[in-house]
Amino acid sequence: MAVHASVNGTTAIPWRGSRKKLSLLEKLRSCQDAWCPGAPWDRDRAHAAISGAPAGSFLVVRDSVTSQPCLLCVSAGDQNGEVLDYNMNCTGTAFQVSASRLSFSELPQLVLFYSLSRDVLAVCLSIPSLIYSKSEMNKDHLSQLEPNTWLSPPPEYQTEEVPQKEPSHVMCSIQLTSSNGALCIINPLYIHEHGDEWLTHKPAGLQLSHIRRERRLSTTRTWAGAGIQSKRATSLDQESKYSNTEAAGLTRARSADSPLTPQTPTEVVLRRPSRDLTCSIHQRASTGSLSTPTTPGTPEQHRHSSPVPQSPHRVSWIEDGVWLPPPRPSSLLQPPSLELDSLSISSIEEEQETQIASPTPHHPSAHRLADKVMHRLSAVGQALGGLVSQKKRLTNRVVELSERKGTAFGETVKSFVEVTLKGGSDPSGPMGAEFLQEVRSSLSSLREILLDYPDIQAILDSITDLNDPEIDSLVEITLHKVALKPVSSHLYSCIHTARTNDGSFQRLQGNFLVLEKNGVEELGGSKGVGVPDPLTLDRIQQRWASMHEAYSPNKKIQILLKVCKSIYHSMSANATSSTGTVFGADDFLPCLTWVLLRSNLISLQVDTDYMMELLDPTQLQGEGGYYLTTLYASLFYINSFQPRLAARQLSVEAQHSINQWHRRRTLHCNKSRRSVQRRTIRRQMAKQNLETETKSKSKSGTENESEEAGVTGQSTETSTEADFMPSENTECEQELEDQPQTSVQTDFQAAKQQEMMTSEQEDRLSVCTETEETKDDSDEELKGDLR
Amino acid sequence: MSSRGSGGRSNGALPQTKICQFKLVLLGDMAVGKSSLVLRFVKGQFDEFQETTIGAAFLAQSVCLDDTTVKFEIWDTAGQERYHSLAPMYYRGAQAAIVVFDITKPETFERAKAWVKELQRQASPNIVIALAGNKADLAEKRLVEYEEAQSYAEDTGLLFMETSAKTAMNVNELFLAIAKKMPKTDTQNPTHAARHRGVNLQDPDAHSTRACCGGN
Repeated sequence: MAVHASVNGTTAIPWRGSRKKLSLLEKLRSCQDAWCPGAPWDRDRAHAAISGAPAGSFLVVRDSVTSQPCLLCVSAGDQNGEVLDYNMNCTGTAFQVSASRLSFSELPQLVLFYSLSRDVLAVCLSIPSLIYSKSEMNKDHLSQLEPNTWLSPPPEYQTEEVPQKEPSHVMCSIQLTSSNGALCIINPLYIHEHGDEWLTHKPAGLQLSHIRRERRLSTTRTWAGAGIQSKRATSLDQESKYSNTEAAGLTRARSADSPLTPQTPTEVVLRRPSRDLTCSIHQRASTGSLSTPTTPGTPEQHRHSSPVPQSPHRVSWIEDGVWLPPPRPSSLLQPPSLELDSLSISSIEEEQETQIASPTPHHPSAHRLADKVMHRLSAVGQALGGLVSQKKRLTNRVVELSERKGTAFGETVKSFVEVTLKGGSDPSGPMGAEFLQEVRSSLSSLREILLDYPDIQAILDSITDLNDPEIDSLVEITLHKVALKPVSSHLYSCIHTARTNDGSFQRLQGNFLVLEKNGVEELGGSKGVGVPDPLTLDRIQQRWASMHEAYSPNKKIQILLKVCKSIYHSMSANATSSTGTVFGADDFLPCLTWVLLRSNLISLQVDTDYMMELLDPTQLQGEGGYYLTTLYASLFYINSFQPRLAARQLSVEAQHSINQWHRRRTLHCNKSRRSVQRRTIRRQMAKQNLETETKSKSKSGTENESEEAGVTGQSTETSTEADFMPSENTECEQELEDQPQTSVQTDFQAAKQQEMMTSEQEDRLSVCTETEETKDDSDEELKGDLR
Repeated sequence: MSSRGSGGRSNGALPQTKICQFKLVLLGDMAVGKSSLVLRFVKGQFDEFQETTIGAAFLAQSVCLDDTTVKFEIWDTAGQERYHSLAPMYYRGAQAAIVVFDITKPETFERAKAWVKELQRQASPNIVIALAGNKADLAEKRLVEYEEAQSYAEDTGLLFMETSAKTAMNVNELFLAIAKKMPKTDTQNPTHAARHRGVNLQDPDAHSTRACCGGN
């Protein structure tokens, strides 16, 4: 039975994960009796309770005999009060909605998953807002919840959106409010004593939009900041188009630096470095290569030089400000908007579909909200200028670009997410590793587009203490935030499906039973080598869980390294024959295998595939690359364990798989090398590097070729790959055609050209792997590509 | 160690220092002393060049060679027969390999030959392979003659040295010999040096402080 590991809420709602309080999963566990009550609750009673409740309201009914969960009752949310039933299977350690292939090791995980992703359900499960809001409550409170309270929270909890009712205490606050360049840090105690009316004083006409904005932002995070006007330094087109009043309130803080901006005298102000803005505008004007319209009088510039009086731009960062007045009643809010949705993956999915239907520019999406919160936090950093790392500025800028309509990057991110969420499950399209490679390839393309933005370049160039690969990695991580985060859950289920279909999971489970009792010495470890004690093993399991929650492959690697470190520690600390021996791979691999046999192999396999396919090629080297290889190897060992066969015999399948992976990654490595190259060229260090790149290219060509030589029966694989390349190309073209704005044409053509070039190059490489004789020619062509 | 460009490593004084980075894989039977050998090499170097790693299965170490800094990323492999099939994952893309055997155990020498054969067949065609007859300090238990290994190495075009991780005999020499044999044209190769440390490596502290750019 395949057990899908926890897809914790933090995958989709990362800011929640950073809170270090009870996670949603933990809360769900604590109040399991409320949503999965025992006798006398049965189907009828559950139906009666759920009927008429908001869509997604649910209860899990236990079997009257076995008292195992057997039925999931979900409110369809329609007017007839229809309740949908889904049968559930529980096989000891795994919980499953019968219609779905996904299994979970515990019921709360299942619930959490279905609250984020609909899968086979008609609607996503809805977790009552009071659960979100009870973060400060202890587990006792949660465990005392009744099913009826669960379904219909008492009125004081019936806020529409998730986190408004955060009971809280003052932890920290920085208030930054801007209109003309001064920096203001406000002691929260002052506001506690004197109120914050002086902060919120503003033209009456703006009130509504501020409230509205307030509320929107507050939906993204469990914090009620009604009293402090929260203005992120943002320049979202759609926001400025909400209404005239709104537009007045939402111009970016940067515009405060614009000489054309009239100052409102009463404002408290926020300092923002103006240098970069001027610089980037200048660059835009001069290079003309940015995708935002570059002609004078474009909307972008209008915004900057808007003669409309500016309202204050304030950034506030308040953790749990108990001193704040309660949020304004939601009845003042108008009109109800989609962003009040659950902020789940599925809600993003739905929204994006809506966006396709009516691509109105002022349609905020849920994940953008999440990013805004991040922004807001980092806006503080921006405001503090030199005090906070430039990295945050980069992150900000990238997130901002991804949010903005009409930019090549923003549109490409958007269509990437759309395409990805639709892909990977259609047997006629690419699946499994191939699909992930498409994703990887798109990430690389996105990075290319990003690096073409003069202001991104300006930020990168200002980060003087980073070298190229570190910058790459920085950009890559930023990309993960805007591109991978919305799709990671979907990718998990794609990997899961692919691994289920190719029998890997079955073999893993089967061999697990064979190997599970083996001690570390039976696995090949030297006598006396230590293994993690139960406590450490527990901690390792937690780490694995958080590794699964991380959407960024780079973050996953970091966690993997932590696990490896604690395994190393146990190897010496718990060694029985301690002689101070050095433990190398001879002992580490068996120990890791031992640990894996005590972990959730399925979820580890999913994560390993995720990392192997999606990591930036640079990350496949070094320590991270080594331990990822070892994790992969160890899983591979378990997967292909054949007690009867001579261990030495390398199955064709085994080698096939390795070669296949390596070829995929080599191809993209090439692409990535190229990307570095382009940038380096821009930085006028072209000559030297060009030579070496050419060399590296020919080198990788020969590497591929040598792989081919070592293996037989590869022809099918190669042809698959050849099929795969053109399809990727097509997809790219299609994306390009989708772009409505003519103003972005230049950029897109550039991007397209690059993409085509790269694809051609890959095609050549794959051809090159097929026929040894063509090697020299290919190399020549590759050299040609560089010019 | 003597060949470390002495004095050539003052911070910031060498804008032209080339950086070559190579992946080096360690192969050999279990318990022939693969990790000890590498650890001796790594620990025997100056701290300045040492990178903190979480365990001995992966180690990184740089050596200075004239105007070039050669950085090895050393990938250890499990020598057990049962894990043999995993080795290709490790030696993929490696530019250098050290195949280690134990001079007191002839079967490890046979195994080493098998590794060499496999590498020559399946690894990168330009891979530099060194053969190390380890535990040379146990001369009284020797069962593999120096000449035998030496002539095998000559026939197959390998670097060969007898080493002792215990006494440090020939350990640095072995790595230096490999470093010298590595194609320096690979320097600044986007795959390696440039992608890892960029062109400017004057600040040895840079690595540790910046490794965490993913942290935000």
